Amino acid sequence: MASALRAAILGHIRVPVVANGSKLLTPLWIRSMSSHDDHLEKTQVIDRILDIVKSFPKVDPSKVTPEVHFQKDLGLDSLDNVEIIMAIEEEFKLEIPDKEADKIDSCALAIEYVYNHPMAS
Amino acid sequence: MSGAASYLARRAAQKERVRILYRRALKDTLNWAVHRHLFYPDADALRERFDANKNVEDIETIDRMIADGEAQHNKWRHPDPYIVPWAPGGSKFTRNPTPPSGIEIVYDYGREDH
Repeated sequence: MASALRAAILGHIRVPVVANGSKLLTPLWIRSMSSHDDHLEKTQVIDRILDIVKSFPKVDPSKVTPEVHFQKDLGLDSLDNVEIIMAIEEEFKLEIPDKEADKIDSCALAIEYVYNHPMAS
Repeated sequence: MSGAASYLARRAAQKERVRILYRRALKDTLNWAVHRHLFYPDADALRERFDANKNVEDIETIDRMIADGEAQHNKWRHPDPYIVPWAPGGSKFTRNPTPPSGIEIVYDYGREDH
């Protein structure tokens, strides 16, 4: 009895079927969990590094550009250089070896290093 | 002439040692004082200690001070420093190395003929 009623109802219900397969069946969220193209954009790297340098207390924020040299243009000390590089390491979750960290002297070098590092995030 | 060049080379090497010592000391300070509100005063105190000897000119004194500083740093090193996981010494270092090239998986499960 109930099964006959159920069969009659099911016979009348129509579920819309999407005939066009191409774009609609692969929703946008399928690749959002993939880290395949997880590299940082250069503009993001530049913005974050400039923010770090500008928020350093001994630096005048209006003088900071992507090509500025820490000791020559901003008048910082070599120890201030070390502090800025440590801040960059913390921001991008990197571990820079001591010898390489010693050579990073300007914003341009820092941006190059971070952008080319495979594990920067 | 070579005297001046070797003097400058020695000073440059000393400056590099000082920078690396400052870097390691700052990282250790952060390791010991985990919270930022404790770290900032400690980092300032460390910077004062470095700045107090900034104008020493005699090269032998500088050498002795650097050796002193490195000995003090060795004494105060943290037993369990924070190292970024994928770096050497971290927990994820060489965890999943890429397999050597030339090895391939043969997908013939059920079709092997032993």
